[in-house]
Amino acid sequence: MFFRMLRQSFFRGWRRKALATATIVLSASLITALMNISIDVGDKMSREMKSYGANINVVPKSEAIPLEIGGVDYNPLKDRAFINEADLPRIKEIFWHNNIVGFAPFLKTGVVISGKEKKRINLIGTWFDRQVPISGDDEYRTGIKLVSPYWQVRGEWPNEQGAQNGMPGEVLAGALLARELNLKAGDQITVRTGDKAPREENFVVKGILTTGGAEEKALVASLATVQRLAGLAGKVQSVSVSALTVPEDRLSRKARHSSDSLDSAEYDRWYCTAYVSSVSLQIEEAIPNVTSRPIWQVAAGEGAVVNKIQLLMIVVTIAAFIASGLGISSLTVTTIMERAREIGLMKALGAADWEVYLLFLSESAVVGVVGGLLGCVAGAGLSQIIGLSIFGSTVSFSPIVIPVNIAVSVLIALSGSLMPSRLITKLYPAEVLHGRR
Amino acid sequence: MAKKIVLETKGLTKRFGSVTPLDSINMQVREGEWVAIMGPSGSGKTTMLNLLSCLDAPSAGEYILDGVATATLTEKQRVAVRREKIGLIFQQFHLVPYLTALENVMLAQYYHSMIDSKDAEQALAHVGLGHRTGHLPSQLSGGEQQRVCIARALINQPAIILADEPTGNLDEANEEVVLDLFKGLHREGRTIILVTHNPELAEFSDRVVRLQHGRVVHDESAH
Repeated sequence: MFFRMLRQSFFRGWRRKALATATIVLSASLITALMNISIDVGDKMSREMKSYGANINVVPKSEAIPLEIGGVDYNPLKDRAFINEADLPRIKEIFWHNNIVGFAPFLKTGVVISGKEKKRINLIGTWFDRQVPISGDDEYRTGIKLVSPYWQVRGEWPNEQGAQNGMPGEVLAGALLARELNLKAGDQITVRTGDKAPREENFVVKGILTTGGAEEKALVASLATVQRLAGLAGKVQSVSVSALTVPEDRLSRKARHSSDSLDSAEYDRWYCTAYVSSVSLQIEEAIPNVTSRPIWQVAAGEGAVVNKIQLLMIVVTIAAFIASGLGISSLTVTTIMERAREIGLMKALGAADWEVYLLFLSESAVVGVVGGLLGCVAGAGLSQIIGLSIFGSTVSFSPIVIPVNIAVSVLIALSGSLMPSRLITKLYPAEVLHGRR
Repeated sequence: MAKKIVLETKGLTKRFGSVTPLDSINMQVREGEWVAIMGPSGSGKTTMLNLLSCLDAPSAGEYILDGVATATLTEKQRVAVRREKIGLIFQQFHLVPYLTALENVMLAQYYHSMIDSKDAEQALAHVGLGHRTGHLPSQLSGGEQQRVCIARALINQPAIILADEPTGNLDEANEEVVLDLFKGLHREGRTIILVTHNPELAEFSDRVVRLQHGRVVHDESAH
């Protein structure tokens, strides 16, 4: 009979319930959308941050020895220690290989541009977009285009192989250098390299490079070209790695201070999570004699933004919870007043207060479940709109959102109904059935 | 041999502050008796009905219903007495609007013990509504709604039926039908206490109790 009453109350009094359900749907859809985004925001932010460049820098171990006095680097091995180019594919073979978006090696050498200026500048060699066979993926391509999408070239990118068939090699001229020497795409320049046995070589400027960094004062050529000019075949000085990592949290910050401070369980959890620090450690383990340094500004910025977004989500969720709880509360008061005679009749027929409570709270719970389910559907759509407008991509729907959202919706409906339901105790059948006492 | 006393009040009094709408009522009702309580507006009829139906507690005096002294019971205990011993019929019918006629009758079963749709259908057939069981109150006439209310009052075989102006909202034709039902219930041996202004209803009762200013001014056999 109880379920019959519940069902009939809904089917025959659906208009009365529709408003309460709509209130729940509004808050549930907002909570669903925010939960979805909150869960997905780490991945979204990580991908977003990748457009700002690499987040790990790999250098030879000896380079990492700090020997700086008054801002001057006295490390005698600086620029004299190298990483073997042949070892680089191993970066893509670590445990978190799927999180490695790309990597680009660097080798620089000093050159003098011949001509009236005789300006001494850096010639930087790197991979632009090169196929690197790795185990399991022979088609894998990586390079500076992938790692540093913010490198803008006005003109064309040079070819990857360097000078071919007697043709001059191809370079990019940094924007500042180009302005200073009045260079433009298509110009030919001659550079002189080697102090002991100088040799000259001609290059064609294929494009003007804008990076916002030191590269704007240099020439950039393919790695093979620079290795040949510097006489350092198969060597690189550093590697920039772009990895998808999870935002920094308490555990990773603790590990950042010292991984020795972690107990074994914490260490396992840290090592098996794609923190920028644990990915760095695995790169060090994969390539001999290198130090892999996270670029903390990127990682910390990512963590800070994610934390702030998640905090905002929590605040908005609580606000939605309170607002809809108050809405439900107001609607319940109205409903109880409207149904006072029905409540009085139930009591007159022998219903205990708790039995009347049970009916009203069950109605609220059903409103919560229905509102929660509809809210999930509406919230899924809303999260896609937010995802597309903020991140430019859809937000993946997490199934965990459904039970959590239904539970929250039922909680909103019940907490909103609980206080007004106390009115039920104060309704005396003698008063409400006869309209007097 | 005299029939057993189903209802007895001794000095039953109700006060609201300085107002005493019901003052020292002494009354006995025997099993199978039909008693009409009459009186002008403000004489204390409804207050008395509220006390007799355990919807309210007296300020003083005793009220024994079917062997249970109810005057000192808690609200929770009065709920149990209502459920077990009293069948209520209201002037305004008071049917749950979203439940059918059958479900309205079953509602009384539900709060009493357990539902039995067959019994509920029989109770509706008994009041001539066997063909209207699936109708909502809004689809029934006033007379039909009152008959559903009577079927609901009878379904749990209560010790006493208390009716408050049962024909007060009915037209003449429906009043006749409801009156016939009460006559039938009386013939079946039901104990009925009926509050009414209607002298025709009182005419068929065994006894008329007249109230004035909260006191019994007349209590004698109607015949």
